[in-house]
Amino acid sequence: MITLLLALALLWPFGVMGHAVWLAYRAPEAQRDYFSVLWLSAAWPALLLAYVGEAQWTMDAWMLGGEWELNSLSRPWLAFTALLWSLAAVHARGYFAAEQAQAQRGDQDAQRRLLRLALLWPLTLLGNVLLIIAQDIASFYLGFAVMTFAAYALVVHTGTQEARLGAKAYLILAVLGEGLILGGFLWSAGAADTLMLQGVRESIVSAEHGAWMAALLCLGFGVKAGVIGLHVWLPLAHPAAPAPASAVLSGVMIKAGLLGWISVLPLSHAQVSGALAQFGHWMLVAGLAAAFAAAVYGVFQRHPKAVLAYSSISQMGMMTALVAMGLVAPDVWPLLWPGLVLFAAHHALAKGSLFMGTSISEHLPRWPQPLVWALLALPGISLAGAIGAGMVSKWGVKAPLYEMHHESLIKLLSWAAVGTAALVSAALWRQWQQRHQGGSNREQWGAWLVAVIAALLTPLWLPLPAGSIEMPPLKEWLGIMWPFPVGVLFAAVGWLLTRPLTGKTLPAGDLWGFYAFVVGAVLVPIRAFGHCCGRLKSASVITAQKAEETLMGHLTRLLSGESWLRHHTSGLMMMLAVLLAALLMWEGQR
Amino acid sequence: MLASFDVIEVLLALCLTGSAFVCLFDRHLVRASCFFFVFAGAMVLAWLKLGAPWLAASELLLGVLLTGLCFFYALGLLSPGASAPLKHDKFSHPWSRVAMRVVLALAWFVMVGAAIRYVIGDMMYSPAEHPLLLAGVLIAALALAAFALHRHLFRRLLAFNLLGSGVFILLAGVAGTSAAAQMLISVGLLVACLGTMLGALLIRQLLHLEGVEALGRDGKPQRSKA
Amino acid sequence: MTWRFGLFDSTFAPLVSTHWALLVALVFPLLMGGLAALFPPKRAWPVVLASVPLLASGGVLLIAFQEAGLLGWQWEIAGLILSLRLNGLSVLLLLTTQCIVVAAALYTPGHFRLTEPGPLARWLWPLMGVALSALSLIWLATDLLTLYIALELMGLAAVGMLMLSGKAPALLAGMRYLLLALVGSLTYLLGVALILGQWGRLDLQGLAEVIEPGPVAWFAAALIGAGLALKAALFPLHAWLTPVHENAWTPVSALHAGLVIKASMFMLLQLWSILLPDTFYAPRIIAWLGLLAIVWGGLLAWRTDSLKTLVASSTVAQLGYLMVAFPLLLGPDIAPLPRALAWEGFWLQLVGHAFAKAAMFMAAGNLILATGEHTLKGLAGTSRRLPLSLLVFGIASITLMGLPPSSGFTAKWMLLEAMIITQQWWAVAALLTGTLLTAAYVFRMFRYSFDETAPRHRYQPLAPGMDLIAMLLALTAFALGLLAHFPLELMHGGSP
Repeated sequence: MITLLLALALLWPFGVMGHAVWLAYRAPEAQRDYFSVLWLSAAWPALLLAYVGEAQWTMDAWMLGGEWELNSLSRPWLAFTALLWSLAAVHARGYFAAEQAQAQRGDQDAQRRLLRLALLWPLTLLGNVLLIIAQDIASFYLGFAVMTFAAYALVVHTGTQEARLGAKAYLILAVLGEGLILGGFLWSAGAADTLMLQGVRESIVSAEHGAWMAALLCLGFGVKAGVIGLHVWLPLAHPAAPAPASAVLSGVMIKAGLLGWISVLPLSHAQVSGALAQFGHWMLVAGLAAAFAAAVYGVFQRHPKAVLAYSSISQMGMMTALVAMGLVAPDVWPLLWPGLVLFAAHHALAKGSLFMGTSISEHLPRWPQPLVWALLALPGISLAGAIGAGMVSKWGVKAPLYEMHHESLIKLLSWAAVGTAALVSAALWRQWQQRHQGGSNREQWGAWLVAVIAALLTPLWLPLPAGSIEMPPLKEWLGIMWPFPVGVLFAAVGWLLTRPLTGKTLPAGDLWGFYAFVVGAVLVPIRAFGHCCGRLKSASVITAQKAEETLMGHLTRLLSGESWLRHHTSGLMMMLAVLLAALLMWEGQR
Repeated sequence: MLASFDVIEVLLALCLTGSAFVCLFDRHLVRASCFFFVFAGAMVLAWLKLGAPWLAASELLLGVLLTGLCFFYALGLLSPGASAPLKHDKFSHPWSRVAMRVVLALAWFVMVGAAIRYVIGDMMYSPAEHPLLLAGVLIAALALAAFALHRHLFRRLLAFNLLGSGVFILLAGVAGTSAAAQMLISVGLLVACLGTMLGALLIRQLLHLEGVEALGRDGKPQRSKA
Repeated sequence: MTWRFGLFDSTFAPLVSTHWALLVALVFPLLMGGLAALFPPKRAWPVVLASVPLLASGGVLLIAFQEAGLLGWQWEIAGLILSLRLNGLSVLLLLTTQCIVVAAALYTPGHFRLTEPGPLARWLWPLMGVALSALSLIWLATDLLTLYIALELMGLAAVGMLMLSGKAPALLAGMRYLLLALVGSLTYLLGVALILGQWGRLDLQGLAEVIEPGPVAWFAAALIGAGLALKAALFPLHAWLTPVHENAWTPVSALHAGLVIKASMFMLLQLWSILLPDTFYAPRIIAWLGLLAIVWGGLLAWRTDSLKTLVASSTVAQLGYLMVAFPLLLGPDIAPLPRALAWEGFWLQLVGHAFAKAAMFMAAGNLILATGEHTLKGLAGTSRRLPLSLLVFGIASITLMGLPPSSGFTAKWMLLEAMIITQQWWAVAALLTGTLLTAAYVFRMFRYSFDETAPRHRYQPLAPGMDLIAMLLALTAFALGLLAHFPLELMHGGSP
């Protein structure tokens, strides 16, 4: 039964894609509904699968031998992933309603764009689902790669200048990341002669250069997870992408990087080598640096989605730091991971609803304004840890750290939450500034509302192990809630301080400009070398052609000897006879 | 020595060689053809002298009559209306080619002579005892050289006929007039006659189609007839 | 070596049916040729009817040989001894000849229907009959007189057939061929005269016993060698070949390149194996000339612009392979194994090439007939319109290139093995160079035919059987490699 469901979860997106193709070539133009109910249902079997129970599959025929598993980690992960994909799909139906109407009127360009999205959205989802349940390297990598490259279509959808820049940044870094991941996998799998992720973990612990393998893999997944330095695609791609695409990009796909880390790093392993622990420290520092720097940089962004993207970087920095704790202090990890999963799930839904909210604020429904803005603010407040699921997830992380006496980290995380609060208030402020009335429809705000509610109630529906998450005790509430007002205050003060500088905002994608400059500078000599090679090639081609011409000329002259031979055939026969006779006589007389 | 000197044979040999020489190297084609008659007549006499009347009869019929008529036909003398008769060979040869052919003819002469000497042991000591044989060697060498030298197809055809006769004399001289030798020679005569007829027809046809120039085009790259 | 040619006494006398089969094989083609001259066949079916008894005679002779081994005939007429023999090799060559001539004859009516060749066309049939009889006689005869008669008959018939197209270039080339062929025969006759003068007999079996190495044998060998080399178009004396084929009718070219020049080659090897049993340099000279032939013929075929010249030049190169094997067959101090390998490879190459070249000429003729163009450039676009003709050309080329599993491959493999055993590395190099050059000119031709940019011409439709006959020949050449044990068995058989 569960196997059937698994097959359905993996094959259903293919069916959806097939339907999209059929639609594009068979259905009349005016009746093409790219976002039909079938399309919306792409993620539903996967969502169902997450709630059925734990299971394990081994398939020797699949690629290099497949091993898939639904365990205590992958079930909640699959649950929030599939849920957000489903909600984003419904939201997309509303979001793209105008474009679809355009396509039905016969706009070729819109048709092409929508078909691309309708085809590649289920494919991206498929990759995402596959990587979550995979326990062998090949499936995991396949899922990861499919998701990464199919998502290009999601980013580039509108085809504007900004979208193309964002997609370019996304693709360059994605290719870099895939290369790093592949290198890391090949190295570690080759060192331990294994094809399973479990083997990779063991290989990293036992191998001599385990820390370097870990570094390769972490940097590769870090591209997706927005590790500081590799994060530049996030603030470039998100504002350009459509809101539902941003929601899944920032909500679940970014978490694939996190899952990658959890899958390949030997967290909670008692005998971690010195180098690996050292690597863990670096990771911790990088995570915290991302958490703070992104907050400081992000509040000055103009575009609300860019602000939210920086918020994602900041949040992922915090999660990076928590994963790093698994290397630095292995004994804390068994207590920490349910909190981390809850943190990730809550962030996914909250960030998803915030991104959907940007499309709501651009098309405000005709509701009482305070209600709308309160709803828009709710997931942000929750994200800062002041209410609902945010508070629970904060406590879920804090409690084990308290237990193991890592108070300094708790302090730092609390201050990072201040940054989060500042970012969400900045985002809300920018949304207020760029608000528009009307135009939103039922699917759009319906999906958004459900996402908000799901975000606030995350611990209630997430299938985590029983008893791993509890409500914070009342005396800790203040300790958890204080960053929010402080953050709002900081944002207000910062806004006041920087008011004289209006109009001079910092560019999104901070380091992208620097990278582009560096790469451009490096490319100059390479281009020069390339030109040089090109000249050399054309010169040698010309030389070879000349040589061939000369040779062929000689050959033709040589072959004109044929007519000489024809002319002298009888003379040659006489010569041959005399030669043969002389030779025979000479040989015979010896 | 003088006793073994057969005057008739020597005269015949001289006559054969002389007429063959004129026949091969006279640029006046009608005269050359006339001398071919002389040569063929001498051949008939030679066969009689060698005691092969059957061969003499064949030579008379095939060699003199048919082949000779073929030559006149090829020259255009038998059917006056057809086209201008051939008179002269006007194709020139570079001296290097001539020199080369002379050397080749000498070599060929030496080779055939040496071969005959090995077959007939006593010829070494008294070459004059076999004047016809000597003439045969000479004619074969000359004819082959002329065949290789000339470009004019008519003259090559003539040279081939003389070469054939030279070879037949050699055959008869070396192997006597046994049944096998006579049979070989008869077949050779027949083939030579057939070949000459075919050649004569071809020459007329070529003259008709392309003119005199075509007869000497041998070996030169063909000009494209656009 | 001479026993391989069947020059020894036979154990059994031929049966009556065998006599009749021999008579049919030798005389029937003449009769049918004469009949066809009177009533030229317009369709293929009379030719099919006529070829049935002919092929049956070949079959009967094959069975007779397989049952009784070597068979001999001898007649004495007015003091002359004429003798024939039938050994495995003769049977093989006889069957090959009959198949190819029948194929050419079947091809002819269709060809004539499309080309409207004029009044001379009816003469093709008797000449073809004479050529077939003469060829059969050459494979069978064992005395110099019969060989001479057959050689002359074949030569004259071949010249006649080649000139029937009646165009001026054809006449010029034919005239050159006629004169050279006649002079070649006379040179051969001079050699025969020396033999007759020295040993007084003409039968090969007797000569093989009495001939001892000496000046007369050497001079005779030199003269016979030069004369036959001229007629067989061996390398420096080959130049008459291409213009002759350039303008001849397709079935005639197929017959000539496949069989006629091979007959002179056969006689050359047979007579030299009697005259020069243990000579070192003369076969070497032929082999070195063969090396040059492979390169020269390959280059000619590679650079030519005309399709027929390509096919004809390729014949020159392919004859080179046969020439290269001469030292293995005639030289002294060759161990039995490489000699046997070379012997089998030689004849397999000869037979395979005969079939393949006939097929190739027919395919080339079909292409030329359909496109109306004689040049390679004129082939542009044929890949789409005439795929079958190109396919035949391709299958024939596989044999010529010596790619497995064609007969060309098997033959070259055997020759190569023999050369490696005897350490004749230059010959190995020649063989490999030849293969490369063959590939070069074949693919050049195919490159032109796959040119899709050419404007569409109107192609003349071909008669249905024309491609089929060519295809059958090409497939025979191809299959001889797979079924090589049949010809090899024939060549083994009949040893004393």
